[in-house]
Amino acid sequence: MAVHVTTQELAGVPRAVYGAVRVEVVSQPRALKIWLAFLTGLCLLGAAAALIALPPGWEVFGTSPSFEWGILITGYVFFAVTTSGLCLASSLGTVFGIERFMPFEKRHAILALLCLVTAFGIIALDLHFPVRMVFGAVFSPSPFSPMWWMGVFYGVYLVFLLVEVASMFTNHYTIHRISCVCSSITAVFAPLTLGAVFAVLAARPFWHGALTPPYMILSAFLSGTALLGIVFWGVHRFRLTDYERAATIALPAARFLLLIALGATLVLLTMKLVTGLQSAIPGLADATAALVSGPLALPFWVIRVGLGLVVPLVLLMLPRTRTPDGILAASILAFVGLAADRALFVHAGQLVPTTAASGVVSFPFAEYAPTLVELSIIVAAGAFVALAYTLAERFLDMSPHLGHSQPTEVEVTVFVPAEGVL
Amino acid sequence: MNGTSPVLSRRTLLKAGLLTVPVLAGGRMLSACLSSPADASAMAAEPLPEPLAYDPSAHAWVFVCDATKCIGCGFCVEACKAENDVPIEPECNRTWVERHTIAEDGSVVVESPHGGIDGFPPASPREDGVGARAGEAYFVPRLCMQCDAPPCVSVCPVSATYKTEDGVVLVDASKCIGCGYCIVACPYGARYIVPAGEDLPGGYPGVADKCTFCYHRTTNGLGPACAQVCPVGARTFGDLNDPSSPVVELLQDPRIRIMKPEQGTEPRVYYLGLESEVS
Repeated sequence: MAVHVTTQELAGVPRAVYGAVRVEVVSQPRALKIWLAFLTGLCLLGAAAALIALPPGWEVFGTSPSFEWGILITGYVFFAVTTSGLCLASSLGTVFGIERFMPFEKRHAILALLCLVTAFGIIALDLHFPVRMVFGAVFSPSPFSPMWWMGVFYGVYLVFLLVEVASMFTNHYTIHRISCVCSSITAVFAPLTLGAVFAVLAARPFWHGALTPPYMILSAFLSGTALLGIVFWGVHRFRLTDYERAATIALPAARFLLLIALGATLVLLTMKLVTGLQSAIPGLADATAALVSGPLALPFWVIRVGLGLVVPLVLLMLPRTRTPDGILAASILAFVGLAADRALFVHAGQLVPTTAASGVVSFPFAEYAPTLVELSIIVAAGAFVALAYTLAERFLDMSPHLGHSQPTEVEVTVFVPAEGVL
Repeated sequence: MNGTSPVLSRRTLLKAGLLTVPVLAGGRMLSACLSSPADASAMAAEPLPEPLAYDPSAHAWVFVCDATKCIGCGFCVEACKAENDVPIEPECNRTWVERHTIAEDGSVVVESPHGGIDGFPPASPREDGVGARAGEAYFVPRLCMQCDAPPCVSVCPVSATYKTEDGVVLVDASKCIGCGYCIVACPYGARYIVPAGEDLPGGYPGVADKCTFCYHRTTNGLGPACAQVCPVGARTFGDLNDPSSPVVELLQDPRIRIMKPEQGTEPRVYYLGLESEVS
């Protein structure tokens, strides 16, 4: 049907939009307004930094030939792995049909999508020729490169996630279910290949080895679960859509998954440390020692191990702190610990120089300090996810998706045949 | 930018001929220069011949560095920068020289101030003084190893880095995305990203760069610039397929070694007199 719009009506559009936005802003609670303004400010700061960093602005980064991958790679790994973790956690309900993990699927998917888009944004800023990468990956592929496979899997994953989210909000159940399965499978392979990007590098003994890909998947699961713990607490605390189930099902489920992920991470991390310290491979023992008792020891023991693993485990196990607030604290700490873990992982891998640093005396350890531009981009990336998710909670219908929700009378009428599939 | 004029002055110096080399480098260098065809001034004055019909499959280029001969003068670094428009930044080098000093406590101090382009100070700059009173010191010429199993080639996600039939690893600057993966993958630290803002005749800011054995010269019948200017013959370049090439004889030496054999990269750069401490 053709729609006829007069010039006069068109001229009134900006005014109408302004009016609607104004009403919307004024109607928000004060605390929400402050929160949104704060996040918007951080995003603007990051946008300015991103403009500075746009090619050929990579000179503003603190990286060097002896320390080529800086905090932007850390940020990319963090968000890319988190998006996989979100999908892995949600797949317990959406794919495997475990009822206690079913609710809040929309939130899983939206967060995963936002984290993935953010990861792509960060890596685009880190790459010197991001557009060339897209064409190069298609027309000049390199199947022996883990980075190429990582791009393939995360690219495909983005498509599946978009379909998943779109079908969820448009109630296309069959498409949704297929896209859930596909995205969950991709969510396993994507962090595996990301781990392989580091694991194949024999020149970097700290990254090299068979333990790196499984560690990446495990930490993906942990970061996804921790983020869900934070979001579920928010849903419960601010009485958002479907908040009743946040306290009764989602938060206990997040606590259970967090416990498993934290315990397994602690075991795997211990294995990595023990094998690293006792290794005869040149550079590996040095890098591990730098982590345990060298220049990285303080953030490692305090943030990574203490605050990021031990304290959350205690909080989740103690009866007194098995509360929504306790789960929130444990989730935040685990999440911060993982961010530190990513930074330490990227840093420790490049700490032991492969040479006298291509002309610069940098002995015994290579040096790197992120610049203000790099830090601003990373902070803004986190702010963008928080801002976009807050807006999604505010404006999108977060009520349970028909395909996976607890059936109401209407839903039973519509989806009874499909229920058995779940 | 201040960095521009030193590049020009060095290049001018080279192109005018490094006639002062023998005087500055002492008797050993003098004799080496007089006896060596690899004369710096000759290289600079030598016009490039007409392009030959080059068949890569007919050659197998290798490079031999003699650590017992290298005196750390840095002329190789300077010649390389001039010949290949390598940025003047100290961290950007296609070739560089390291000094390995074995201190009295047994520790090894590795240093390469500005890639060794200006030579080396008499004592180690390490703050704790280790290495200052050296028990032994030697210089190690460094460059891309042109590995036969190059990790930089296998990790490149867009096939921008590739290996030629004659054994040289090259970078297609028009394909490189500047991800830095090849740089972290290289066990020898032989790569760098061309900095932005460089006014380079053939340069591509933002892409990876490395030694090419001066491929534009070698495919035209000339040797790499660094080997030609070396006043003591510490760098020898040649073709394994040519029985008369000096590298064929050098590779028969039982002292011949490769760097980091445990990496399995099969380098085409060999070393004579390399100490076990070098990695």
